[in-house]
Amino acid sequence: MELFLQRLFDGLSQGSVYSLIALGLVIIYRGTGHLNFAQGEMALFCTYVVYQCGEWGLPIGISVIIGMLVGFALGAVTEVTLIRPVAKKSAFAVFIVTLGLFQFLNWLDGAIWSDQPLPNSGVGSNQQSFPSLFPNKPDDFINVFGAAIKLQSIGVFLLVLVLFGLLFLLFNYTKLGLAMNAVASNAESAKLVGIRTNMVLMVSWGLAAAIGALGGVVFAGINSNVNLGLMFTVFIYASAAATLGGFDSPGGAVLGGLIIGVIENMAAGYAEEWVGQELKVGVALVVILVVLLVKPSGLFGTAKVERV
Amino acid sequence: MNPAPFTIKSGGTASWAIRIVIAAALAGLALWIPTSASNGLIDSCITALTLMACAMALNLLLGYTGQISIGHSAFFGIGAYTTGILVSGYGWSPFQTFAVAFVIAFVVGALVSLPALRIKGVYLALVTLALGLVFPQIIKWPKLEWLTGGARGLDKTGFRFTKDNPTYEIFGWNPWGTLRGENVKPFHFWIAMGIVVIVYLACRGVVKSRAGRSLIAIRDNETAAAVMGVNLAGTKALVFGLSAALCSLPGCLSAIRTGNVTPDSTNITVAGSITFLIVMVVGGAGSLWGPIVGSVLYVFVTELTGDWSDTDAIPAVLRPLFGWSNTPPGTGIFAVLLIVLMFVAPFGIVGMYRRLQARVVTVVPKPAGTGTISAPAATPVEA
Repeated sequence: MELFLQRLFDGLSQGSVYSLIALGLVIIYRGTGHLNFAQGEMALFCTYVVYQCGEWGLPIGISVIIGMLVGFALGAVTEVTLIRPVAKKSAFAVFIVTLGLFQFLNWLDGAIWSDQPLPNSGVGSNQQSFPSLFPNKPDDFINVFGAAIKLQSIGVFLLVLVLFGLLFLLFNYTKLGLAMNAVASNAESAKLVGIRTNMVLMVSWGLAAAIGALGGVVFAGINSNVNLGLMFTVFIYASAAATLGGFDSPGGAVLGGLIIGVIENMAAGYAEEWVGQELKVGVALVVILVVLLVKPSGLFGTAKVERV
Repeated sequence: MNPAPFTIKSGGTASWAIRIVIAAALAGLALWIPTSASNGLIDSCITALTLMACAMALNLLLGYTGQISIGHSAFFGIGAYTTGILVSGYGWSPFQTFAVAFVIAFVVGALVSLPALRIKGVYLALVTLALGLVFPQIIKWPKLEWLTGGARGLDKTGFRFTKDNPTYEIFGWNPWGTLRGENVKPFHFWIAMGIVVIVYLACRGVVKSRAGRSLIAIRDNETAAAVMGVNLAGTKALVFGLSAALCSLPGCLSAIRTGNVTPDSTNITVAGSITFLIVMVVGGAGSLWGPIVGSVLYVFVTELTGDWSDTDAIPAVLRPLFGWSNTPPGTGIFAVLLIVLMFVAPFGIVGMYRRLQARVVTVVPKPAGTGTISAPAATPVEA
C-alpha cells in the first residue's frame, strides 16, 4: 500500500509535467491543426533561461516568471515569423519547420549553456544542477497512510492544478479564451464575426510555449538537473498524453498526462522484471498505437470528418 | 513564362552526352577517392555514403509515398545489430549478414506499416518517433542482454583480416587497399559505394515503374489513389518494408566499419532519424538526386565546421558570428538552412536547381508509349 501510494504520487507529479507539455501541444493543435515538434525544445530553452537567471542570483520565483515571459515571446515570434507564412504552403512544410526549430534550439542550448554537441542518447551529456521549486531535501516528506510522499511531488501537483484552474477560467470566461474556442471550432466563421484570428493564433503559440516553459522548469526541478536531452522523452510522453486525451481537448490532455505518468510509474515499478527503467518509453509507444488504432479521436476529442 | 533558350530532347544525342559525361565524372571520382585521397577524406566520404543510403531509403517512403517516419534509426540499428550479433557471437562473415539484416528489417518495416494503414500524417510521425526512441531501450533491456550486450554494446564486429583473405590486384593496383595492414578504409569505401549503388538502383527501379506511380498517387491523394485502383494496404506495407530493409544495409556497414555496436551511437538513436530526414529534405524530397546532394553537403558542412569549437580555426569573416561558442555550429547551420529552404524552395536544393534549369533549358520528354515514363518531378507549390 505504501509503495502503491508512493508510486501514485510520483506518477502524478511526473504526469503533471506531461500534462503541461501536452496542454501546449493541444492549444496549438486546436488553433492551427499543426503538431509542434519543437514544443519540448522550446520548453528546454526557457528552462535554460531560468537556470541562467538563477546563476545571476535572481530568486527562483522571479526566474520562472522571466522564463515564462521569454517562452511566450518565443512562441509568439515563432508563429508570426515562421509558422504562419509556411502554413500557406503545406502541412508538411510546417512539420519540417518545427523539426528544424527542434534541431536549432537544441543546438543553441548546447552552444550557449553546454559545451557538448547534440547528445547521442540524451543522457550523460553535460548537465547543470537545477534548483527545485519546492523543498527537496531527503527529509522533506510527509506520511500518508505510512507512505512517504515527497513534499516536492505534492507541491508540483498542486501548482499544476492551480494553473489548470486558471486556464479553465481563461478558456471559458474571458474574451480571449472564447475567441480561442471560436477559432478552434471554425476559423473561417470566427474571422467573419470579427475575431482577429491572427492575433488569437499568435497568443495561442505564446501561451503554449509559456506553459511548456513551466513544465520544463518543474521537470528539471524534479530531476534536479538540466541537460540537452531532458525533453526528448518528455515530448513523446506528452504526445501520448495528448493522443490519449484527444488532440483538441485541453481537459483531455491534462487527464491524459496524469494517466500516462501514473501508468508509466506503475509499469516500471510493478513489472520491474519486464518493463523496468529501460522499457518505460515503450508505455508511450503502446498508448499512442492503441489509442490511434482503437479510438483515433482520443478519450475526449471530437472525431475528425474527412472530406474528399 | 518565356520559352527557355535551349531545348534538349530526352533520349536524344545531347541528353545522352550529358548523361555519359556525368556518369564518367562520378566513376572517376569513385575511383580517385579510395586510391589517391587522404584517409580523412575517405572517411568523410564513407560517412557521406552511409547518410546517403539512409536518406535515399527514407526518401522512398517520405518523398515519394508521403509517409512520415522519424524512426528510421531503428532500422539502421537493426542492420548494425544483426551484423554485430552474427559476426561477434556466431562467427559469420560480415557479408553473409547483409542478406539476413535485409530480411529482418523488411519484416519489421512491413509490420510497422500495419498500423500506418490507419494512422496518417503527423500521427504516423509520432508513432515512428516513439519507435525510434524505444529501439535503443529494447537493446539495453536486461532480458536481451545475452544477445545485444546491453548498454555496453558489442565489440569485435568488424571484418577480421587473416592471411586467408585474398588480395586482388588489377595491373598492380589493389582496389581493396592494404587489407592486412592498418589501412582498411578503401575496403570500407567500396562496401559503402556498393550499398549506395544498390539502394539507388532499387529506389530508381521502384520510382520509375508502375509501383512508383502508385506511390506518388498515394502521396498526393490517398483516396483518389484508392479509387484509381491502387492497393493501399499492400503498396504501403511493401514500400515501408523496402525502405526499412534498404536503411538496414548502411547499418550493417557501420558495424563492420567501427568494429563495435553500441545503443548510443548517433545513427541508432533518434538523433540519427532526424539527421536522415533533414539531409533528405535539404537535398530535395521526392527526387532521386536529393539525398545525394543533401548528404554530401551535410558532411561537407559538418566536417568544415567540426573544429570551429576553437575560435582560431574560424575564418576571420565568420568569427563574430560563431566565435562566442565552443560548440561546432554545423548542426545549427543545417537547421537554419532547413527552415530557410522551406520558405524559398520546399523541394530542396534539387527542386531549386530544377526550377532554375527550367528557365534555361527545356527538356522535351519522350512521346508517350515509346518507353518508360520518368516520374513527374514534384511540382513546386507556389509556382
